[in-house]
Amino acid sequence: MSVAESIVVASGKGGVGKSMLASSLAILFSQKKKVIAVDCDVDAPNLHLWLGENEKWDEIKKISTSERPIIDKTKCNLCGQCVGVCAFNALSIDHQSLVVNRFFCEGCGACEEICPQGAIKMVPVKNAEIRIKKNVHGFPLVSAQLYPGETGSGKVVDAIKNRGENFFSEIMILDAPAGTGCPVIAAVKDANLAVLVTEPTPSALADLERVLAVVNYFHIPWGLVINKWDINSRFTKKVEKKYQKQLLGKISYDQKIFRSIANLMPIMETDLKAKEEIKTIYYRLLGKINF
Amino acid sequence: MMKTIAITGGKGGVGKSTMAILLANKLLSQGKKIVLADLDVECPNDYLLLKNSSENELKKPVEKVFAQFPYLDKTKCKKCGLCVQKCRFHAIFAPPNRTRSGSGQSPGQYPIFLPELCSGCRLCANICPYQAITMKKKVTGKIYQEKIAVDFYLVTGKSKAVLEETGPVVTKTRQYAETLGKKMKADYLLLDTAAGMHCSVIRGLLAVDLVYAVTEPTPLGAHDLELILQLIHKLKLPVKIILNQADLGKKELVEKIAKEKRVEIKYRIPYSRKLVEAYSKGKLQEIDIL
Repeated sequence: MSVAESIVVASGKGGVGKSMLASSLAILFSQKKKVIAVDCDVDAPNLHLWLGENEKWDEIKKISTSERPIIDKTKCNLCGQCVGVCAFNALSIDHQSLVVNRFFCEGCGACEEICPQGAIKMVPVKNAEIRIKKNVHGFPLVSAQLYPGETGSGKVVDAIKNRGENFFSEIMILDAPAGTGCPVIAAVKDANLAVLVTEPTPSALADLERVLAVVNYFHIPWGLVINKWDINSRFTKKVEKKYQKQLLGKISYDQKIFRSIANLMPIMETDLKAKEEIKTIYYRLLGKINF
Repeated sequence: MMKTIAITGGKGGVGKSTMAILLANKLLSQGKKIVLADLDVECPNDYLLLKNSSENELKKPVEKVFAQFPYLDKTKCKKCGLCVQKCRFHAIFAPPNRTRSGSGQSPGQYPIFLPELCSGCRLCANICPYQAITMKKKVTGKIYQEKIAVDFYLVTGKSKAVLEETGPVVTKTRQYAETLGKKMKADYLLLDTAAGMHCSVIRGLLAVDLVYAVTEPTPLGAHDLELILQLIHKLKLPVKIILNQADLGKKELVEKIAKEKRVEIKYRIPYSRKLVEAYSKGKLQEIDIL
């Protein structure tokens, strides 16, 4: 592996500022180090927008990280063994025909294995595309889009991380999706450091603790950023007190951030207060990384 | 007949849960009976936004969701490696062989199961030639039910902390809410989905009567709205848009997509300090602006 360090930005809750922070940190690190940015939100990738990029990519490649059963109806005798073996209730016999519910199918292949007639074959599905661009800030961004209606986002995340490792870089910045499920596990599992973002609301705190369970499971050291801290400074104090040791910094609420992203202007290119606050976070992070 | 409405949006933090509750408030004020199901089982928040349930703890679960995970019987395992080779989730790991090289036929190591990657598909147990793998039931999620008002119930699904496949927890939670809705003769079942477009979201959208796609007037909101509209189109569902923070940013981005895709923008919610405060205090049931 050619990546020395990797930092994953995660939060559990969506819309609390992961991509804003990840893009800003990538830009800051790129001034001193070789950076690779990886957008692990393959459902709804936005990191390119926060970097001020449009939808034009240097390279787009379709990939397949999931499989789906194809049924040979000439061989299937409707014995129903596959229906019984499927842990996801994705198979059923309807009107004398075996049907696959593609939205329930996880592509495990248990049906193919059990079919005594050899009537089921797992075939790869092109479920996503990987997109690469050397962005305006001079470092490459690896992104992906899961095609709407497809499954297997966790394995798409694995694929873009591998692709990102093909670039020579000193630090990889990973932007995790919302939630705590398979794509988040894939994004977080082997990072060197996690930067968790929260807001002073009960929801964001509850979700922080959910994603923290994942981070702790993989024994990843972490730091905390409280975004929009001043929308409820009493709540912020509570959070700060609880996670004193991990606190990396705070970012103030500013409607201008909303306006700046509405115009695809990266925070690092503005003169907003948030820019200086993120720089402080960046310097604290530098102290936690051994280059 | 109970109508099922899903609230989704692709992007996180655009106000899905807030809009789901505002919609519940509106229907409630019209005298309707409501079940709201929080299907964001990885990060459920609706219970934190409603007064009667804001003790920040979900009470006793009404139902548990189970899946089966593999266990190895070392007395039967011949270390053949078939399970390692067949697992599509890379959830079975064979540690490197520590015996001296050159011995030729040194047996492999016992496989190690990685529960955080396991989908619970049971393939390994089914194919093991020595029946060395047995499946054991483990809790993967819990379902909670709370009464918010006379005609307003909240059902919350919550997945286990580090779980690969959260989709089945979504389906079970939805089924529970559907049964409850039928029992109390609810007029509406509202389904609040997770962010994204993955299987957990799809399980919340399948076969609903109407989808509200919540978005915000930024390139991010517009980008993700286009994606979720593609998914909704694929699922052949009727859809309307809710534009949150409608007076900030660039609403024309969202209006353009709505026009192109011929989707109605049903509600435009301006930024409101009152709404933000009610959100953070867990008092959204008091807000009637839809």
